[in-house]
Amino acid sequence: MRKKKGGVFIKKQKHQPIQQASVDPITGKKIPKSIVFSRGKLPSSLKQLQMDLRKLMLPHTALNLKEKKRNSLKDFLNVAGPMGVTHFFILSKTPSSPYLRVATTPQGPTLTFKIHEYSLAADIARSQSHPRCPKDLFQNSALIVLSGFVSGDLPLRLTTNMFQNIFPTIDVKTVKLSSCQRIVLLNYNKDTKLIDFRHYSIRLQPVGASRRIIKLVQNRQVPDLKNLRDVSDFVTKAGYGSESEGDEEAATVTLSSDIGRVNRASTKSAVKLQEVGPRMTLQLVKVEKGLCSGEVLFSEYGKPDGKGKSDDEMPDIQDGEEDSEGSEDEEESEEDGEDAEELD
Amino acid sequence: MAEETQLNEPRKRKFVKKQGRKNSSKKPKVIPVPHGQKKVKIDKNMKKLFHKRARNYNSDDEEEDEVAIPATSITKKNKKDIESEELSEDEGAARGEKTLKKNHLSEDEGEDDGEVLPGITKFSEGCRAFKMAFRNIIKKSVPDEALGPVLSGHKKLIVDKLAEEEAERKNKGEARKEKHLLAEKGHVIPANYLDTHEKFLKSVATKGVVKLFNAVNKAQSVQKGLDSSRTKDAKEIRKRTKEAFFTELGKPLRHSAGTSAKANASTGMEEDEQPAWAPLRDNYMLTSSRLKDWDKIPANNVSNDDIGKGSEDSSSDED
Repeated sequence: MRKKKGGVFIKKQKHQPIQQASVDPITGKKIPKSIVFSRGKLPSSLKQLQMDLRKLMLPHTALNLKEKKRNSLKDFLNVAGPMGVTHFFILSKTPSSPYLRVATTPQGPTLTFKIHEYSLAADIARSQSHPRCPKDLFQNSALIVLSGFVSGDLPLRLTTNMFQNIFPTIDVKTVKLSSCQRIVLLNYNKDTKLIDFRHYSIRLQPVGASRRIIKLVQNRQVPDLKNLRDVSDFVTKAGYGSESEGDEEAATVTLSSDIGRVNRASTKSAVKLQEVGPRMTLQLVKVEKGLCSGEVLFSEYGKPDGKGKSDDEMPDIQDGEEDSEGSEDEEESEEDGEDAEELD
Repeated sequence: MAEETQLNEPRKRKFVKKQGRKNSSKKPKVIPVPHGQKKVKIDKNMKKLFHKRARNYNSDDEEEDEVAIPATSITKKNKKDIESEELSEDEGAARGEKTLKKNHLSEDEGEDDGEVLPGITKFSEGCRAFKMAFRNIIKKSVPDEALGPVLSGHKKLIVDKLAEEEAERKNKGEARKEKHLLAEKGHVIPANYLDTHEKFLKSVATKGVVKLFNAVNKAQSVQKGLDSSRTKDAKEIRKRTKEAFFTELGKPLRHSAGTSAKANASTGMEEDEQPAWAPLRDNYMLTSSRLKDWDKIPANNVSNDDIGKGSEDSSSDED
């Protein structure tokens, strides 16, 4: 790779090899990697959202990606090749609303989402009485659940495909349940055409034991027995019922292997989700064939006639990059050629 | 005025003298004060005289006060305060002075009138005029403005200036507020409770997780008790997994066709649309590996094709 002037600076970490394995050791599948960055200046809350998205995409993402003002899309693309980055998350902000573009490198397609509403992970943690964040929460990649994307038209199918490929596929034969800690939910609402983006942490809890026992086992703390006359009271005395015992019936699983200390194999465990954040409400606005360029396959704001007209529909996003993008198109194809040579 | 100068002179001298005294033990030559003066100061008679003169000067004011303003107590108090301050300035001699004053009050006044009659009358009149003016100003009820009492025609100018400043600040604040609003657009602080929509989303996600876990459980319990290193068992595993997968594949299809139409219509929608054989799908090779990578897959993973397909299906199964 030639030296580029305004390359993206990625902080090296000492312990980790710079280049993670690009192929899953067990299934032999290619692991998708992504980087999250912004175009243009973002207000602080959106910067926080960017950070949250990076955390969500862990571990196959650049958490400490440093971007500079002069970095163009081309720079990111140049880095993406050797680093094995397959997806871009691009945040941008216009006077009307913030936008999220999800793109596959290096050829595209690019999906542009309008972020109608968003809440940061911090906001959500603040709204909860007991926010939960175990240490190993972000050590494994999240699962993805897509729901409601039924109709078979192109933009929706593209969206499902895109998001399915953003996270590594799991092999049911070999996957360890203990590595499934988080889940990303994309729920499409047919009527409003909005996509709800949620991020939950998965918690397993043994079923059948009383609340006190569960707490005793989980907390590793000596229980307070001073109000009891006998030890047996601790077990027999009925505590107040758990929050929603009724709903839990459907959400129980039998585990094939032990997870942690508490959840043993072949016992019933309840699946409990707690939101981690960020939370977003997205609307698919545009689909482009290339990487932030190319033929417009779908546009919310009118019929996609051609390449030229589509740019007028969302001038605010393209504003800053218009000039650089012209050259990027050429660069992109050139880039592809290079990649091919290298791989051979 | 002449008296004032007279009064001031000894004051100064006194002060100087004090300093001199303090320092004199150490450095007697620092301040060349005439020794005669010192002695004069110490002299009781002279002291009396100075006190008298000082009192005369002060008594002017006091007299005026008593004569002119018996009514406005506030101003009087003020004046007296000022007076007492003045007195206290006189090297703490005020106490002694007062007793003296009482003794020689009539005498003093007589002396006063006799000495400087022509000048004083005018001075006192001027003083009175000033006092009247001052009182008028003080008496004036000032409208309770933020600006407060301002004396002259500058009032309007200052008002204008302040108003302008205020407007500017307001504008700035509004601009900043607007900017902040713009930056925070779309940012929603979530409520402390779960509303119905959130609950629904959570239940959907839970369903997905449960489905996946169950699938994993089924798949992994199949190969329990078999050692994959032995070729015979490996064959068996492959066979079983294949069967298990095809049965697993079939289930959600039928399931989705039947029940999912209402609530969770999403389940297995991938399978509905797309053929089972990967190359026939729309998304085949769309996003993932390149064509030239085909030979990079390790040869020993012969069953990889099946497993891969299965995993893909089951991963979409969780949808």
